[in-house]
Amino acid sequence: MLAAALLLTACTSGKKAGAPATSAAGQATGTASAPLKVQVEAAAQGPEWGFDAKVAAKRATPDMERFLSRYLTVAFLDPGQQRTGWRELLALFDVPVQQAARRDLDALSLGTAAAQVKAVQPGPAKAAVTFLYQGSRPVGATVKLAFDGAADVEQGSGPVRLRSVLQLLWTAKGWRIASYQSQTGASA
Amino acid sequence: MRRPTAALVALALLVVAATVGLTTFLRRGDAAPAVTVQRAHKGAAAPSFSGRITFLVVGSDSGAPKFGRGGVAERGRADSLHLVVLDASRRQGVVLGFPRDSYVPIPGHGTNKINAAMAFGGPPLLIRTFEQLTGIKIDYFALTSFDGLTDLVNKVGGVQVNVDMRIRDHFAGAFLDKGPQRLSGERALAYSRARKTVPGGDIARSRHQAQILLGGLGTFQAQVVKDPARVMKWLAVMNDEVQSDLPFGEQLHLALFARSVSPGRLNNVVVPNQPGTAGSASIVRLLPGAYSLFARVRAGQLA
Repeated sequence: MLAAALLLTACTSGKKAGAPATSAAGQATGTASAPLKVQVEAAAQGPEWGFDAKVAAKRATPDMERFLSRYLTVAFLDPGQQRTGWRELLALFDVPVQQAARRDLDALSLGTAAAQVKAVQPGPAKAAVTFLYQGSRPVGATVKLAFDGAADVEQGSGPVRLRSVLQLLWTAKGWRIASYQSQTGASA
Repeated sequence: MRRPTAALVALALLVVAATVGLTTFLRRGDAAPAVTVQRAHKGAAAPSFSGRITFLVVGSDSGAPKFGRGGVAERGRADSLHLVVLDASRRQGVVLGFPRDSYVPIPGHGTNKINAAMAFGGPPLLIRTFEQLTGIKIDYFALTSFDGLTDLVNKVGGVQVNVDMRIRDHFAGAFLDKGPQRLSGERALAYSRARKTVPGGDIARSRHQAQILLGGLGTFQAQVVKDPARVMKWLAVMNDEVQSDLPFGEQLHLALFARSVSPGRLNNVVVPNQPGTAGSASIVRLLPGAYSLFARVRAGQLA
């Protein structure tokens, strides 16, 4: 879907693609890039009594920002991840949903279009997050994530667009995606 | 059992339904948990959340101080009994209602009313009784009480139910007109308890209990469709109301699993039965059709 959207946009925009001076790629392609900044708007749910939602939301936000930045980086800013089978991306999913995520890569990342993408220039990345606390720590979160960018391909450039709802689970390894509804491409 | 952890939305719903007779208090201070959710078999591996999961949802007649019911829910008689089978891969399921007076073999206790199994040996014996009777493996057990049902339903803003008959039952405090309506916890409990003046008696009551359960499920799904973050809000409510030994991750997966089957794809069936007597006791005998039904469910025919 994304591939088609990219190619279509590239063709209709008529822009000539140029090799980016710096790639936004991450480890898989061996080039460094500044961390993507995700603008997070947070709220929190917790015990009925003795729970300060504002404080809780603020405290949990930095970890979430790092996780979402990591997700968007490996999913969209590093086309070279495709060559590794999106290993780093899939590792961000909870084990029970990794198999499904592997099938849905086109809706979760550059997917099959990555082979044609030279680089992606990130645009706005915004997230509305609702944390769930148990005691003094967050254990789950719902994330409404929106990301826009521009992909450079051979024929020109085209928009990259993600709209998703993620249900996250806090694990020993940090946040992991336990469920998702995700769409990429022009219709997202 | 560990401290009350976050509740399962799904189970909450189930519990709600189950609630038919269960009670509980808000889980606060020394109060007992409103609802208990646990694995049916301790130490068993978690089921696949992309396949089929079976819940035994039970309402106890004990442990409900608000309704003047003393004792402990786990040792009370199970007055509301439903097997809920959900198949996420097929997006369908079935709710099997069992009349509380169903006269069945109870392991180690001869043949007796099915609702006595929990009083004899707690939830483990009730689970064994159901598994032996139906041949269906149970994954999760949810127990609630009168108090638990009312608290839970009120906290989620009521449940939408299509009341299938006009009811004026002083015994259960049920005064309801026919038709779709949003029921508060107290009215949901009354609807699920009404029996003596209701055509069909126990059978209708079992069906109504399942309607409450499905109404809870539908309410949850409708809220989550409108705002996915409601999952966390429901889990927060459950966290206050439910006692569970399940890790939070499993609870979250169960809650998400509850989104997979819409109430319209859940078949609400009371197992075929016939009133009878055993000595001087009024009982209900399961008919051969009940066993055929169990066989179909085992084979995956849930529609």
